[in-house]
Amino acid sequence: MKKMKPITRTVNLIIIISLVLGLGLTITYFSYNQNTELLATSQNNLHQQSDILYQSVKNAMLPGNAPVAVTLFNDIRDINPAYEIMLFRSNGVEAFSDNSTIETVNNNITNKVFDHRPASADSVMNISGNKAFNQTVAMRKTSSFQEKKEDETFFTIYKPLLNLPKCAVCHGSDHTVRGVIKISSNITPIVQRQEINTLIAGTFFIFLVLILTAFLTQFFKKKILQPVKHIGAVCTSVTGGDFNRRVEISNNDEIGVLGETVNTMVRGLYERFQLSKFVSSSTIDSLNSKKDGVKESITLFFSDIRSFTAYSEKKTPEEVVVNLNKILAFQTRIIHENGGDVDKYVGDEIVAIFSGKDKEINACRSALIIQKELNEKSTEIYDGLTVGIGINTGEVILGMIGSEERADFTVIGDHVNYASRLCDAAKPGEVIISQSVYENLDGKGIEVSKPYKIKVKGKEKFHKVYLLSPLKDGDL
Amino acid sequence: MKKNILIVISAAVLFSMVSCSHKKETAASLVPEDYSGWTITADNLNYPIPGHENHFRRVLINPKGQEVSVIKKEGKDYYAYPKGTIVIKEIYPTLNPKEGTKPVSLTVMIKDPENPQSRDGWIWVVKDLKKNTEKIIDYEFCYDCHTNANEPHQYGDGNPDGEFRDYLFFPYRKTASGNRQQSSDNRSY
Ligand code: HEC
Repeated sequence: MKKMKPITRTVNLIIIISLVLGLGLTITYFSYNQNTELLATSQNNLHQQSDILYQSVKNAMLPGNAPVAVTLFNDIRDINPAYEIMLFRSNGVEAFSDNSTIETVNNNITNKVFDHRPASADSVMNISGNKAFNQTVAMRKTSSFQEKKEDETFFTIYKPLLNLPKCAVCHGSDHTVRGVIKISSNITPIVQRQEINTLIAGTFFIFLVLILTAFLTQFFKKKILQPVKHIGAVCTSVTGGDFNRRVEISNNDEIGVLGETVNTMVRGLYERFQLSKFVSSSTIDSLNSKKDGVKESITLFFSDIRSFTAYSEKKTPEEVVVNLNKILAFQTRIIHENGGDVDKYVGDEIVAIFSGKDKEINACRSALIIQKELNEKSTEIYDGLTVGIGINTGEVILGMIGSEERADFTVIGDHVNYASRLCDAAKPGEVIISQSVYENLDGKGIEVSKPYKIKVKGKEKFHKVYLLSPLKDGDL
Repeated sequence: MKKNILIVISAAVLFSMVSCSHKKETAASLVPEDYSGWTITADNLNYPIPGHENHFRRVLINPKGQEVSVIKKEGKDYYAYPKGTIVIKEIYPTLNPKEGTKPVSLTVMIKDPENPQSRDGWIWVVKDLKKNTEKIIDYEFCYDCHTNANEPHQYGDGNPDGEFRDYLFFPYRKTASGNRQQSSDNRSY
C-alpha cells in the first residue's frame, strides 16, 4: 500500500491557500486603489495649482509686471506655509533675484525700459544641480516627484515655463524654456493616512484569514473528515471480525446516507457470517469459484459416535444435544486446526475432507489427537462418549449438489462410501485407514499395526486396512 | 502542465508591462516618407525661434490641408483644417545649411481630433529622420506655444487681427503671394 497522506493536511492547505490568495488579492486591490486615489487627489490639486500659477505668471509678465508676480508668489507662501512655491530661471537661479533679466529685456526692447531693482539682501537660491529640475528643463515637460526629507514626505512639481512667441519679444529667441515653477507640498499626513490604511487592511486580512480558516477547517472536520474517519473505523473493526459496531452519524447529507449504507452492509455481512457456521468453507470457496464440479484426489475422514442410539435413549434430549454438540465441536476444532474442512454433520457423524500434499498425515493426526483426548477425558467431559474413525484417500467428485434454493458443496463417489464403511468397522477409540492412506504415510512418524483383511458392506473382495497406533504422551 | 500555464501567463504579463513602458518612441508610421509634391507654406526660415531653435526650417502642407475652410466668426476669420491635414516642418542641421543638405528631423502636426493623443485637434509628432522613429508629444509643450498662433505674434504676417488660425503660424493661403514672404525680413524685433 502507498504511504498514507492525511487528507486533513491537504484540505487545510487548500483552505489556507485559497483564503490567502483570494482575500489577499481583493484587499490589496482595494487598499491599493484607495491609497492611489488618496495620493492622486492631492497630486491633482497641486497640478491644478501649478497650472493656475503658470497662467498667472504668463499674464503678469506679459505687460512687464514682474513685481506683481513676485508679490503673488510671496502672498501664496504666506497664506499656506505647507506649500513651497518658487520660480527659477532655466539656469537654476531663483527668478527676480538680480537684474540680469532686466538687462536682457532692456536690450531687446526699444521704447520702454525697466528700472533696476535694489539687490536682494537674502541669499539667492540656485538649484542648477538638482536632477529633477534639470530633467524638467531638458525634457521641457512637467515632472513630479515624491521625496522624503527626514521624517516628512514632499510632493513636488516642476513645471517648465516656455519662452512663448509673445515672451520672446522681450526675452529673445535663443532659448525654449524660460524658467521652471517649483511647487512643493508637504504630503506627510497623506502618506501617514496611506500607511494606516495599509495597516488596517493588513490587520483585517490576517483577522479574516484566521477566523475563516478556523471556521472552515472546523466545518470540514465536523461534517466530512470525522464522519469519514468514523466510517473507516467501523469498517476496520468489521474486517477484524467485530460486527457489533455501527456507524453513528446524524448528518442529513451524503455522508449520513453513506453511514446508513455501511450499517446495512455490516448487518448483511453479519447475517452471512452467522450463516457460514452452517456451511463448510469449501462450499463458500466454491461459491466464489463458480465451477460446477471437479474430480480430485482427497482424503476422506469419517468419525462416528459408538452406540449413540443406545446413549440417546438413556439420556434426556437436552443432555443428548449438549454432549453431542460438545463432542462435535471439539472434533471440528481439531480438524480445522489440522487443515481439514468439515463437509457436513450427519447426526452424530462428522464427514471431513483433507486436501493438499499432506492430506493423509493431517487427517491421521486429527484422528489420533481426537482419540487420545477422548481416551483420557471422555468420562470427565464428554459424558463417556467414544468415536470410531475411518480414513480413506481416493478420487472423488466435488461439486454443488442440490437445487437452486438449497445446495451443498459435497463429495460423492465410491471412495466416500468406502471411508464410511471403514468408520463403521472401527471400534470405540480405533482409527482405521485404507491401503491408499497407508501408502502415503511412509516415514512420516505415524505408527500403524499390521494389515488386516476386512470385507466391507457392498464389496465382494477383502480389503487390506491398517489400525493407527494410539498416540503416546510426547508424540507429535 | 499547470505550472507551464502559470509560467506562460506571467511571461505574457511581464512582456506586456515591458512593451507598455517602451511605447513612447515608436517606429515611423504616421508621417509619410515622401512629401516632395506638397505645397510649401513657409520657406527659408533662418532665424532662431524658441521651440525649434537654431535650425533652418521649411514648412509644407499636404493636399488635404489645402481644403481648409475659412469662415467668419464674430467678425474674425476662423480657420478649420479638415481631418487628415498634415503639416510638416523640416528641421535642418544648422541655421545656414549648404545647398542639398537633408533635414535631420521633422516636427509634424496631423489633424485628427478623435485621436486620444491629439491636443487641440492635432497630433503633435517629432520624427527623427536618422533613427526613423516617431514620438507623439501629448503633453503641453507643443500646443501651449502654438496657441500663440491664434493671437497676434511676430512671425509670418503676425496675425494682427488675432484670427483663429487653427494653431498654425503659417496658414495655407490660396493666393500665391500670401505666405511666400521672406520671414526674416518680416521680423518685428
Ligand atoms: C516655444 C514655441 C514653440 C514650441 C514649443 C513649438 N513650436 Fe512649432 N512653431 C513655433 C513657431 C514660432 C513656428 C513658426 C515657424 C517657424 O518660425 O519655424 C512653428 C511652426 C511649426 C510648424 C509649422 C506649422 C506652422 O505653425 O506654421 C509645425 C508643424 C510645428 N511648429 C510643430 C511643432 C511641434 C510638433 C512641436 C512640439 C514638439 C512644436 N512645434 C513646438 C513655435 C513653437
